[in-house]
Amino acid sequence: MKFNNLSLLLVMFAMFFVGCSNDDNAPDIDQTPVEEETTDPYEDGLLVVNEGPFQNGSGTVTFISEDLTETQQAIFEEVNEEDLGNIVQSMTFKDTIAYIVVNNSHKIQVVNRYTFERVAVIDTDLLNPRYMAIANGKGYVTNWGYTVDEQDDFLAIVDLETNSVIGTLPVELGPEAILANDEYVYVAHQGAWGQNNKVSVIDPTSDTVLKTIEVGDLPNTMQWDASGNLWVLCSGAPSYAAMETNGSLVQIDVTDNEVSQTLDFKTEQHPGGLNIDGDELYFGLDGGVYEFNIDATELPSAPYLENASFYTMTVKDGKLYGTDAKDYASQGDLLIYDLETKELTNTLTVGVVPRGVYFN
Amino acid sequence: MRNFRFLFALAVLLSFDAFSQKDSVTVLDEVILTDVRLLYFSNHQVEVLKDSVLKRNGRSLTDLLQFNSGIYLKENGLGMVSSPSFRGTNASQTAVIWNGININSQLTGQVDFNTVVPRNYGIVQVRKGGGSVQFGSGAIGGSIHLQDEMRFNSKFENELELSYGSFDTRGLDHRVSQGSDEFTFGFGVNYRSSENDYDYLGTDLENENGDFETLNLNANVGYKLSEKQLLKFYHQSFLGDRNFSGTLTAPSMSKYKDYNARNLLEWNHFKNNRIHRVKLGYLYEKYKYFANKERPDFSFGETNTFLGNYDYKISFDKIIIDAIVDINHTTGDGSSVMQANRNTVAGTMLFKHQLAEYISYDLSLRKEYVNDYDSPFVYALNVEYQPNEQHIIHLNGSKNYRVPTFNEIYWITGAGSSGNPDVLPESSYQFELGHGIQFTKWNFNWAAFYISSEDMIQWRPNVTGVWTPMNISEAINYGLETSLMFKEKWGEHELVWHGGYFYTRAKNEEINKDLMYVPRHKATGNLSYAYSTWQCYYQVFYNGKVFTTSDNSEELPAYAVSNFGISKKIQLGGNVACTPKIQLNNIWNKNYQNVAFRPMPGRNIQLNVNLNF
Repeated sequence: MKFNNLSLLLVMFAMFFVGCSNDDNAPDIDQTPVEEETTDPYEDGLLVVNEGPFQNGSGTVTFISEDLTETQQAIFEEVNEEDLGNIVQSMTFKDTIAYIVVNNSHKIQVVNRYTFERVAVIDTDLLNPRYMAIANGKGYVTNWGYTVDEQDDFLAIVDLETNSVIGTLPVELGPEAILANDEYVYVAHQGAWGQNNKVSVIDPTSDTVLKTIEVGDLPNTMQWDASGNLWVLCSGAPSYAAMETNGSLVQIDVTDNEVSQTLDFKTEQHPGGLNIDGDELYFGLDGGVYEFNIDATELPSAPYLENASFYTMTVKDGKLYGTDAKDYASQGDLLIYDLETKELTNTLTVGVVPRGVYFN
Repeated sequence: MRNFRFLFALAVLLSFDAFSQKDSVTVLDEVILTDVRLLYFSNHQVEVLKDSVLKRNGRSLTDLLQFNSGIYLKENGLGMVSSPSFRGTNASQTAVIWNGININSQLTGQVDFNTVVPRNYGIVQVRKGGGSVQFGSGAIGGSIHLQDEMRFNSKFENELELSYGSFDTRGLDHRVSQGSDEFTFGFGVNYRSSENDYDYLGTDLENENGDFETLNLNANVGYKLSEKQLLKFYHQSFLGDRNFSGTLTAPSMSKYKDYNARNLLEWNHFKNNRIHRVKLGYLYEKYKYFANKERPDFSFGETNTFLGNYDYKISFDKIIIDAIVDINHTTGDGSSVMQANRNTVAGTMLFKHQLAEYISYDLSLRKEYVNDYDSPFVYALNVEYQPNEQHIIHLNGSKNYRVPTFNEIYWITGAGSSGNPDVLPESSYQFELGHGIQFTKWNFNWAAFYISSEDMIQWRPNVTGVWTPMNISEAINYGLETSLMFKEKWGEHELVWHGGYFYTRAKNEEINKDLMYVPRHKATGNLSYAYSTWQCYYQVFYNGKVFTTSDNSEELPAYAVSNFGISKKIQLGGNVACTPKIQLNNIWNKNYQNVAFRPMPGRNIQLNVNLNF
């Protein structure tokens, strides 16, 4: 039994701030958008998912045009005249559809990713949903269950035709990031409000857990490299845990689902926000952004970008998109860096507690 | 600073002329009440809420102050946690004083205004502005004073009220009191329960998981040991069993049980111009929070406070001196708070001097020693100038503070949050200028205030990403408060108006933005008309728009909410009187929120029957 101290604080105080877990970027499903003839309003540009105020409020999605000159806040509300939901956690694309996972409303808003018109809402059989991946024509959503119960965490399996949960699969504590390749679904078990150190492998044809792979403590983000290896970044147990442990970068060989490489950080180092661009991995650590070539055998000792600390970060095509949640009770910023020149090129105002950046 | 100089200059300009102030100091007040500081020191900042008002809006402090003061109340849905913003300050900067004792939670620094039932108290007062010297931590925006009256030589009084209303809301209120020459007692009980499943207007949703049940008890006993010695005992307890409702976008399964008990034993000794008073008190608070009401697991917190107080007051012809020593021992424990002790010793000196017939001043000083942080030296100076019977002008300056709470210091590190043993008390300087005009049928009061606060405590992520309280913000609050009372009687008719308008600005100095949840405008109005045994009233409060984000990018719109009630007193023979009453709440069915995404109920009805015998 473990209590979520933060939500308790929130109950006791008439104050407003956001829950803080160490997870970072949503899994990036590599999808080529289907080209359409006419241009929909949100067809070309960035979508920033904002959690919204923690206690009472609604998250939003901010649209930023491709040339970064136009910003439109709260597009879901604008199009559908309804609130998106409380604590918008992540977004996953499949073809023209975007699945927006809303953590504290226990629902998934299904919208057209280019018009943002709502297609459906999935609001049964989800409990504290976090992230979603698509495999074998189905959606797999990580759920924490009741935060006070460490035994009830599960994956919800979504029928993408009917937009309904057709099954649940009990899994280990704290399923967080989720990625799929052609064969399997991989779930990083960060441990919700507790801690865990597993990656579980799910077979989407039988919807069973094939295997659990032990990695470092608190795996927070995962990425595929070009050869199909899975990289898992683990933050390690924080200094305030019963025992502080080091962060680690783990490579999993998906042919046999074994750990093929583990690179350890120092005990007091707790990295997060793993991203990949070409053969370069990027992650955040101690107020800087580090770069790591997938063929390197040692972790970098000096940051690639200094004084760059973000709430979450996303790297794509030579650019780093970092979010700043400020005081968690006001509009945040999206900071865009050119990774070649290491210059901050743009600062754009987005919604309250910007969580993830996605590309249309 | 500019505002401060302006106020000061204005005050100096106004301080001429002559007047006569009647000194109404009698021993009687000391017998009836336990806390008479309000009568002698800075008394013109105090507004007394009348019995008729307590009867109308006395079921919670939220209800009472919403309609009868300039305080903004943030209520997480009807009956849920409610916290005040007094003069634009935050929830832990308003002190609630029960029979002279500060009862703000040691864990949160706040009082949930839906857990205080004011209707049983003999006197309820709202004291505006800083009062930390007299009332300790948190008396920054102002303080709410609840006092039991010792009614010696009073006949047996028995009052029973039953109520039923919308959302299956049931209430029972009972009060008895009696007093002989030597002995008096009073007892009150208030029970309320509600399904509280009101519709969210303009949606197809309803207020789910908002049902509650509360019980409040008050008791007081007074006994004259001799001509000169008086013994008093006070008790109050509150039991709450509430489910916490969700929001427009998030459901809730949570449940909250709280228990508060307050006990105070007091011995008074009167001799000529001197009064000795010794108080012993014991306060207990406990809460249990169930994140999921269907599961047995809960988190909890509790504190025990033992306090002793010695008060020596001496009055001369033109001078009153009151010296107070307080000792306080608090232990705290909980699932998220380390087991901790806090010991406080405080010395307070109050000095009042009637300089001339028309002008008086009082000076007060307090220094506190605490084991777990450094408490500032605080002081207040108040000048009252009464040129004639109709006018009174007061000028006041003070330094005030709010101590770090047990949560702020001892919150157990884990799951991304941590207490901070190095956090400092919040402190504030303030100035106030007020003017009261009093005639037989009406009175008008206004006051301008300025508060500068520093080291305000906020929870933010530290360098390692752990949320922790830090002294980071500075705020400036200023504003103008006005209130008008009017009363006219002719034959069997009586018409009474009481209302006010309140302008408040509260700014975060770092970013020069308005603080969240502080309306710039608030207004209240209460009109009652009585004819013979009939009485009806209309009451309204208006809250201007409030910002719900710190950068003022989002806001809640302004709204006005009105109630209407009508009653008739029926004499049933003997001494028994029965008063049925109908009250319509939110008669214009306004869809409003005072906390974002937490809608309040639309039009609803409440039926009461009051029996007096």
